[in-house]
Amino acid sequence: MTTRPTVTIIGADGSASDATLPLPAVFKSPIRSDIVQSVHTGMAKNKRQPYAVSEKAGHQTSAESWGTGRAVARIPRVSGGGTHRAGQAAFGNQCRSGRMFAPTKVWRKWHQKINLNQKRFATTSALAATSVPALLLARGHHVSTVPEVPLVVSSTAFANAAISKTTAALALLKAVGAGADVNKVYGSRKLRAGKGKLRGRRYRQRRGPLVVYAPEEDGKELVKAFRNIPGVETCSVFALNLLQLAPGGHLGRFVIWTSSAFGALDKIYGDGSAPAALKKDFLLPSNVVSNADIGRLINSSEVQAVVRPVKGGAQTKRAVVQKKNPLRNKQVLLRLNPYASGYAKAHLGQEKINTEKPKRAGETFSTVLHEN
Amino acid sequence: MVAAKKHVAIVKKHPKRFNRHQSDRFKCVDPSWRKPKGIDNAVRRRFKGRPVMPKIGYGSNKKTRHLMPSGHKAFLVNNTRDVDILLMHNRTYAAEIAHAVSSRKRVEIIARAKQLGVKVTNAKAKVTTEA
Amino acid sequence: MTNVSSDLIWEITRQNNSFLFKRRGNGGIQLSRDPLNPVNKQSRKYNGFVNEKAVGVQPAEKGGVVVTTKNAKKVNTPAASYSTSTIGPNTSNRKTYKAIANITSKNSYRPDIRAEAIARASAIKLSQRPKKDAAESKPRGAKAKKTEESA
Repeated sequence: MTTRPTVTIIGADGSASDATLPLPAVFKSPIRSDIVQSVHTGMAKNKRQPYAVSEKAGHQTSAESWGTGRAVARIPRVSGGGTHRAGQAAFGNQCRSGRMFAPTKVWRKWHQKINLNQKRFATTSALAATSVPALLLARGHHVSTVPEVPLVVSSTAFANAAISKTTAALALLKAVGAGADVNKVYGSRKLRAGKGKLRGRRYRQRRGPLVVYAPEEDGKELVKAFRNIPGVETCSVFALNLLQLAPGGHLGRFVIWTSSAFGALDKIYGDGSAPAALKKDFLLPSNVVSNADIGRLINSSEVQAVVRPVKGGAQTKRAVVQKKNPLRNKQVLLRLNPYASGYAKAHLGQEKINTEKPKRAGETFSTVLHEN
Repeated sequence: MVAAKKHVAIVKKHPKRFNRHQSDRFKCVDPSWRKPKGIDNAVRRRFKGRPVMPKIGYGSNKKTRHLMPSGHKAFLVNNTRDVDILLMHNRTYAAEIAHAVSSRKRVEIIARAKQLGVKVTNAKAKVTTEA
Repeated sequence: MTNVSSDLIWEITRQNNSFLFKRRGNGGIQLSRDPLNPVNKQSRKYNGFVNEKAVGVQPAEKGGVVVTTKNAKKVNTPAASYSTSTIGPNTSNRKTYKAIANITSKNSYRPDIRAEAIARASAIKLSQRPKKDAAESKPRGAKAKKTEESA
């Protein structure tokens, strides 16, 4: 690639402007779904709050085992009398009103430490995936009406707090072709199955586009404008989060960039040759395989020069074929016995055998036979 | 309705169910198969005249595995969109309407299946009423 | 962008994608809901979103078929990359198939899925024809006697 690919900036009305931005180097980093998935599973655990059953649960009785010899199990039993509770088994996980098996503890390992380099790798990988329309479609985003991926909207659309109301925000999304994806979210809200309904997670819905902005240039009013549109999330370009870039560990979130945020990416992640300005000791990961197109690799002159020619020319010998009966199949018969055609043409098979009666042997034969 | 693709004859090597040993004698013994583990168990020791135990050799030919007698494989559908997928596979798969689908929607599914020539295995369930 | 090939996309998405339609019974069935997949099979060859060039055949609203193709040069501009052509219900079957064959194979676009695209169009055309009602089954045996008595 001699020239760096560029991305057109889309105006507020959805039409392409003449202005372009070079594609930041992050978008060329390797896409590794395995790393994104493992980092995502770790990161998703870091917002959990500890829970546990009461330390005392099931142990608020002075039960003692009765020991052997009373024809009952040796499990601790509630002491005393005068009530049904007395003499009942206690403490064990199999007991009614006993404690649970292995009571949950607040000091469970709730959070995962993930190496910083891995997190950065995963984020760049997820970012690179947001520029591939096929991956956006595979994630389920409705992007077939979007003018370009990655979608960069001019920062002038956000200037002077132009997008501070939800109506304006929704109009902008529709203008840039993201309306279908927002409608998908509107239609997807369903009641959650299970107990989560009672625990503040009543509905499930899809994720819509992620709007990435630069807080200095674009202002922060847009956050409030977008926050009541279901599925739409906003994020500062300086605080990109893997949980938003690859929800569920699935690559290819639909991201709408403001042009100033898009322009800042090279500053944040570096341009691939020099370390990043805003991340300490970080150089963008490079691809192990520079050309991932297998067809082009196989058909390249370098590979074709060393592969051996096809055996047997254009016609390949079939490995497994059905056996043909030469007595029934003429062609197979001829292959085995070239004489067969001449034999059939001359009707040699149908020729009559000599049916004349054999001649009697002569007199002398009889006399010789009966000598002695 | 389109007939299923031609296939080799379906052979079931053991058409009867494998019932758990002695489930015929006690009602507390469930007929679902459990391998006998007893040290003296005659079934486990494969004695002559005893019920046979399931093993991999009873498996069906891969070509006819999961086939219904009609030659189709059952394919669970919940709505008409699912039926549409079978457009190019109506000789391989037959639609089977999920049990929770209402009779009103069943009618739609059956109508769509008929247009596409997809066989519906349970077309009469819930939609026909006693005359 | 250049480091993202169809092969890479397929490796990332073959396990899980939004078009994938899995059924657990019957030995596990995997089909695809991709509108650009002419046979609805989950495979590298047929899945339209994976390939740079793909052909989709869908029923048109007023009968006939809509053929959608992807432009390999406009991968990154989704709105401009799809082109559709509608073949109306009054076009004869032969002409419909010829048109689809031209779209798929001219300029060696995707000659490998020409037959599948035509087969799909054929199946769609067949589904758009009015269907006969099944003949009512004649009562037999005891039921026949009963109906005879009541008549």
